[in-house]
Amino acid sequence: MNKLNVLVVDDDALARKVMGNHLKAHAVDFAEDKAGALKKIGENRYDVGFFDLMLGPGDDYSGLDIVSAAVERGVYPVVVSSSDSDEIVEKAYLRGCRDFYAKGNEEANVCDILRRYIHSRAAVKPEEIFSSRFVTADPATRATVLDALKYAPTDLPMLILGPSGSGKTALAGIIHDYSGRAGAFVAINCAAYTEDLLEAELFGYRKGAFTGADGSRKGRLLEADKGTLFLDEIGSMSLNMQTKLLKAIEEKTFHPVGSDKPEKSEFRIISATLDDPQRLIASGKMRFDLFQRIHGYTVTLPPLCRRPADIFPLIAHFTRNNRRLAFAPEAKAAMQSYAWPGNIRELRKFVELLSGGETGRIAAEAVNRRLKNSGVQAREHGSGGNDKLYSLALSEGLDAVIKRVSEDIIRRNLAENGGNKTKTMDALKISTRVLYASLPCDEKKSRRTDK
Amino acid sequence: MTDKAAETKTLHDIKSRCSSLKGAAELFKDCSAGEKKEMLALMKDAARDIAASLTELEKGI
Repeated sequence: MNKLNVLVVDDDALARKVMGNHLKAHAVDFAEDKAGALKKIGENRYDVGFFDLMLGPGDDYSGLDIVSAAVERGVYPVVVSSSDSDEIVEKAYLRGCRDFYAKGNEEANVCDILRRYIHSRAAVKPEEIFSSRFVTADPATRATVLDALKYAPTDLPMLILGPSGSGKTALAGIIHDYSGRAGAFVAINCAAYTEDLLEAELFGYRKGAFTGADGSRKGRLLEADKGTLFLDEIGSMSLNMQTKLLKAIEEKTFHPVGSDKPEKSEFRIISATLDDPQRLIASGKMRFDLFQRIHGYTVTLPPLCRRPADIFPLIAHFTRNNRRLAFAPEAKAAMQSYAWPGNIRELRKFVELLSGGETGRIAAEAVNRRLKNSGVQAREHGSGGNDKLYSLALSEGLDAVIKRVSEDIIRRNLAENGGNKTKTMDALKISTRVLYASLPCDEKKSRRTDK
Repeated sequence: MTDKAAETKTLHDIKSRCSSLKGAAELFKDCSAGEKKEMLALMKDAARDIAASLTELEKGI
């Protein structure tokens, strides 16, 4: 965190001492009355001011005048007072106070306030984010990201949903960078570990905790102290591990494997999953209480096929410092109609293949060949179905895809039979109920009119 | 100042001093020996102020 110039105004010497301790990472100055405070504010060198309102016996909220003076001089004014009636809180905000806290929880509140101040100073620059760190030209995706960034400086846990390769880790990193948190961004992919290894990785271990533990190791939870812990693919975590994680999140303490000494860590949690959390809960794969703990604010990132406008900005980004690519119009069309089931990760690999294996302007034939190869590889790895449907199933669920496929088949057969519903029911071996459930609303209406 | 207003101010003082005492107690164990001495002196002053405010309140009843 940057070193700030802070002014603390309080008539209570012990309160000044306590605040000084909480702010010792910064340059702190003190005043005990209105005159001293106004003189110091006049020096124009403070970033943030913490002001008590009643300064001395018989004082009539002179701290309010200090708030006004601070606002005039561009100091971020914060009131920390025991006078916290609704009337006084309102008066302070009317004078321009940015945050009002009742005395008594300074340790946590001071951290929150400074984080918020730093966030307000380092205003989010959308163009900077969307042209390099999270490349997107899609207005809906931009709005989703900017909304999520509003919660960056809070302690609220976040859950990022979206198919694999849609940018969940990149977004988590940006949220951390805009959080103002002093600690590190620590990411872990839960699917990459067995239960035992994940426990050792998250909580750390002591020498001799298990075979091969030749030394002690700090876990990711401790590495994320005062920072952000990003748990990717949290849906793959075992229920047993979820119970242990839940306890660590709730208590902010945990035991490294093989240790009876608890460790403490103040981390903010951001989780991500490509699964639907409600389905995970319904199928017994995710604890409801863990879900409650991790989904403070939920962000849903769309798959690449739903933001085709991003394909070429992403390609430009991937090739910025390498060989630049140009595409024939038919090649562009092929790329835009492709489903990109592996999303941005697949696009990046595709660009690497083209950069290394093609010369000159890229023709449609080269694009189709590479995309076809990519499809073959996907099938070899056990994925089934057409790419577009596969991608849709990942984003909207299998039921939605089955419904869409049924509707398409029924509509096509109806068209082939000139709209004759009886023929379609015979040809597709379906009941009247299934047929009408799949018909568009206007056709259902026309049926009612026919009757 | 009315009795009611005086009572409100006294209660404010008590709340304020108690908060400082609580904050100081939480920090105490992590202080150096020198800081502990300084902190203790301030804490004792705060405790005396609280006792005086309580006496004042008592008188008003």
